[in-house]
Amino acid sequence: MSDRHTTILRGLVVEEEVQLTLTELCQACRSEEQFVRAWIAEGILEPVGASPPEWRFTGESLRRARLARRLARDLGINPAGVALALDLLEEIQALRARIGREGSG
Amino acid sequence: MAPRDYYAVLGVARDASADDIKRAYRKLARKYHPDVSKDADAEAHFKELGEAYAVLKDAEKRAVYDQAGKEGLAGQGAGPPPGWDSGFEFSGRDFDTGPTPDQADFLDALFRARRQGPARAQGQDHHARVLIDLADAYRGGQRSVALRMPVVDAQGHVTLEERTLDVRIPKGIRAGQHLRLAGQGGPGPGGGPAGDLYLEIAFHPDPKFRVEGRDVYLDLPLSPWEAALGAQVPVPTPEGPVQLTIPSDSTAGRQLRLKGRGIPGKPPGDLYAVLKIALPPAATEAERDAYRAFAQAFPFDPRAPLQG
Repeated sequence: MSDRHTTILRGLVVEEEVQLTLTELCQACRSEEQFVRAWIAEGILEPVGASPPEWRFTGESLRRARLARRLARDLGINPAGVALALDLLEEIQALRARIGREGSG
Repeated sequence: MAPRDYYAVLGVARDASADDIKRAYRKLARKYHPDVSKDADAEAHFKELGEAYAVLKDAEKRAVYDQAGKEGLAGQGAGPPPGWDSGFEFSGRDFDTGPTPDQADFLDALFRARRQGPARAQGQDHHARVLIDLADAYRGGQRSVALRMPVVDAQGHVTLEERTLDVRIPKGIRAGQHLRLAGQGGPGPGGGPAGDLYLEIAFHPDPKFRVEGRDVYLDLPLSPWEAALGAQVPVPTPEGPVQLTIPSDSTAGRQLRLKGRGIPGKPPGDLYAVLKIALPPAATEAERDAYRAFAQAFPFDPRAPLQG
């Protein structure tokens, strides 16, 4: 920690201020385009736009794409399995959130 | 966690086949994957699994390990890096190399260094997870973020390089969102543009507040008489205490909404006080008398719902 940086870095909130193209999404989640296309075909990612060059992804897609990539890489599951795992993980999260809303005791 | 033998980590014999090792890894990885498991130890387990598998799945690394152990693998004075962790920065290469980003990167960097000498850096996007306080999301502000990543130096040694970035935390940021810092990722090859750095935001666990998206929840204990008669009580919020009116005949579990007191934004979130009834202990004779007077005053059967 010897050299203190004096510049304060200003970032963009990806989920609110950024829309990603297919190329940017692939670069940001370090996945090959063929994987990303397979996830789109499974409904894991839902771009806006008529054709691949016009596709735009929300920041939320980045989180889902990174999660999909980790599951695919670490557990060796195919796109259909990743889609199922994401759905189930979201359901679990919703149930946990309900428990959180109702309080701990 | 004390370093364990890689074969013991995967629960396989030393002469296990490549298929056995893969099967054992997959089974344990599903169990301990940090995206799946909520065990407190899951991440440490998964890291250990990844480290073991990264070595044992590769015939060359496995042979080195069998002969010389971990010292043989990391024989240049550099131990395995600290783990997949808040503040650990890993390059995008994590995705196409091995099971856990950091160890896989570390080992690969090590082997690449031995085989080819220093590798050239690429302008890749990097990712790191950053823990902030809930109050930072309310106020916005500035935070120093310490990041570590494995780097291969000119001699081919792998070291962990630490750097500190001062980052502006925008007001209203929520857990799970990403901040993109342009040009703070990996350097570009041959002077090309650097990649971006993505910081995934998470909150430090808070003893009082639970966060869900924009909304914040708080357990608010009330005495029985406050709940029955109504009251004005002070309620802590991440922005400081406010006075809240408790309506009479409030029951446990009821949620009182403080509109717009959640995480700021357009629209802002709400703060919910979840009512709890706290019973005072009857420690003195006078207090026991008070409970006896209670019993006299109420024809109340709390077990009525159990009957019939």
